[in-house]
Amino acid sequence: MPVILLEDVNKLYGFGDATTIALDEVELSIERGEFVAIMGPSGSGKSTLLNVIGLLDRPTHGKYMLDGRHVARLRQQSRARVRRDKVGFIFQSFNLLPRMTVIENVALPLAYKGMLQTKRLKKAAAMLERVGLSEKEYFYPSQLSGGQAQRVAIARALINDPQIIIADEPTGSLDSASSRLVMELLSDIHKAGNTVLMVTHNPSLTKYASRVVFMHDGSIVADEQTKLGEIPDTLKRSMYFAPRKTVDDDLKGVSSLMNTMPDEKPAAKKVSVKKATPKKRTYKARTKKAKAKK
Amino acid sequence: MVTGNFKIAMDSIKHAKWRSFFTMLGIIIGVASVVTIISIGEGVKKQVSEEIDRRGPDLITVRPGKVAETDENGRINSASIFSSLVNAPLSENDLKVVSGTSDVDYAVPVSYLSGVPKVEKTEMPRAVVFGTSGDLPKALNQKIEYGAFFDKGANKNVAVIGPRVAEELFKETVPVGASMQLRGQSFVVVGIFEEFNDISLSPEADYNTAIFIPTEAAKKLNNNQLPIQQILLRPDELSQRDEVAKNVESRLLNSHAGQHDFSVLTQDNNRSISNEILNILTSLVTAVAAVSLIVGGIGIMNVMIVSVTERTHEIGIRKAVGATNRQILAQFVIESAVISFVGGIFGIIVSLVANFVLRVSTNLVPVITLPIMGIALVVALLVGVVFGVAPALKAAQKDPIEALRRV
Ligand SMILES: Nc1ncnc2c1ncn2[C@@H]1O[C@H](COP(=O)(O)OP(=O)(O)OP(=O)(O)O)[C@@H](O)[C@H]1O
Ligand SMILES: [Mg+2]
Repeated sequence: MPVILLEDVNKLYGFGDATTIALDEVELSIERGEFVAIMGPSGSGKSTLLNVIGLLDRPTHGKYMLDGRHVARLRQQSRARVRRDKVGFIFQSFNLLPRMTVIENVALPLAYKGMLQTKRLKKAAAMLERVGLSEKEYFYPSQLSGGQAQRVAIARALINDPQIIIADEPTGSLDSASSRLVMELLSDIHKAGNTVLMVTHNPSLTKYASRVVFMHDGSIVADEQTKLGEIPDTLKRSMYFAPRKTVDDDLKGVSSLMNTMPDEKPAAKKVSVKKATPKKRTYKARTKKAKAKK
Repeated sequence: MVTGNFKIAMDSIKHAKWRSFFTMLGIIIGVASVVTIISIGEGVKKQVSEEIDRRGPDLITVRPGKVAETDENGRINSASIFSSLVNAPLSENDLKVVSGTSDVDYAVPVSYLSGVPKVEKTEMPRAVVFGTSGDLPKALNQKIEYGAFFDKGANKNVAVIGPRVAEELFKETVPVGASMQLRGQSFVVVGIFEEFNDISLSPEADYNTAIFIPTEAAKKLNNNQLPIQQILLRPDELSQRDEVAKNVESRLLNSHAGQHDFSVLTQDNNRSISNEILNILTSLVTAVAAVSLIVGGIGIMNVMIVSVTERTHEIGIRKAVGATNRQILAQFVIESAVISFVGGIFGIIVSLVANFVLRVSTNLVPVITLPIMGIALVVALLVGVVFGVAPALKAAQKDPIEALRRV
């Protein structure tokens, strides 16, 4: 049984002419232990999808089963409990509480469970050791580097032993070295049997994933199993997000690619592919096909 | 969870010390003023009580007017401050009736006379003049410091004065033998009372500024009439007190043709009456001061609303990691309660300082008891809870994504 099962999930924003379809009849099934990378151009609904899956947001219609339980129509109180017990969030901007120490931040989800302080801190200390930040327990988030802050956030996401870990551009505000550390940590977590969902704009990071999902205009337009350590074929053949990317994004992508994998030739190749093929048409045709199939 | 919230609240108070202080200011002022007023009231009660004790438990007082309503057991139901002012004073005949009651050891009249005493060019308008008889020092249980009180049947123009009169009018401590002018007549000072420890709030006015002259002399000053404001008497034995009071009452009632336009009060009665009056006064003033607590509560509410808006992102993070609406609500209610409670503690500290200042600089002896402090803190806590609910609801109802997006 899949840990996540979305059927016909829609998410609309606004009314009338101003309606935005952020998610358009999304069907998605994720098994336990998968590492799913979600890619797609800006505005394609990746964050919205993660928010719905993480129960931060509610779908406008559709069915959502998390861990065998229907959760699309839960009341707020129960949604909070599900978030607390089954979901771990990692954000691009870390989202640590600035006035709490690192260890208190990590222990926060346990506090909402009603666990006693001493027990809480003990567990949090163990988790911090796991992410390699034992010596920063009593630092404040402002005293950490971006990479360290993100590892604290990962420790917080893991503390409740969640069913799924949701990471929305976890390396989006990190330099390449920190990115690599964070990705290796996520990869370890995945290898330990956890289910990870990650949005990224960086194609090279898909090598950590066991599956890559491509989104466009609120729909899933491609969905591919990959071997760990490999970049999926789809990505090699065409860059779904290329048409929407700005020059700045490209430059950032290039530099981070270069820095992450300075010795890997294919990375450099990919960059040239990306530059060379703004294949908007191809890709539109594909979407149409995909819809026609239904 | 509650201890965690408590810590969060203390942290955010410490984080913004000045803002927290100004938030608390209303509560500090409110608690300080309420506690100070109540403690002054309690202090005065205690002083009046001590004064009554000093006079002795067997003293009986007769006053014009019905000062208090009593039930059949003689307990005070309600008291009126103004009745003795409105009603006609007692007469010389009343004094005769009282003295003539069996088992009465002595009865002393006290008549208030108008007039400003004068020594050469010096006047003392705040001095009060009383006509009375030679047993007054016994009735008041008060010693004469210099000289002597006039005799029982004295009808000469002599006077015994309080220490303030000596200081202010004669500019010396022992003006025995000196004379002063009163309504055109000359009076010779024969004695000076010891300092009265009574407080000026007591119904008898401040005896330290009083001039006592014999009733006969007073009558001469007052067109041969003697309006009596008070008759003080003692029974032969303490055990006879209640019976004597009853007899005096029934004999007076008889001579007043059944009109109950006077009051016969034992010391216990006096105590309850003054407590009753003080309770009315302090609760009135306290009610006014309590308004500042409400204003303080509104201040906390305002700051909490701003704080909730500023901390929207924090609320989003907390919700993302699994805080329920109720837990967010609790966090902010506890924070506002803690602010208010800490304000209450500061308020009590301020009132303790005020207490000290009042003791040093006035003759008031305010009393701050533990129950008063406890009640004040509980009230402060309640104000924080009540006025914290609205901002906390605002925080609890925030949408997690909207909140996370706000930086
Ligand atoms: N609160 C909202 N109100 C209205 N429209 C919204 C809201 N949130 C998202 N949208 C719209 O939904 C669509 C999908 O947004 P989403 O944030 O999921 O994109 P994304 O794929 O995460 O983009 P990016 O890569 O830039 O983060 C966008 O068109 C966006 O404008
Ligand atoms: Mg996004």
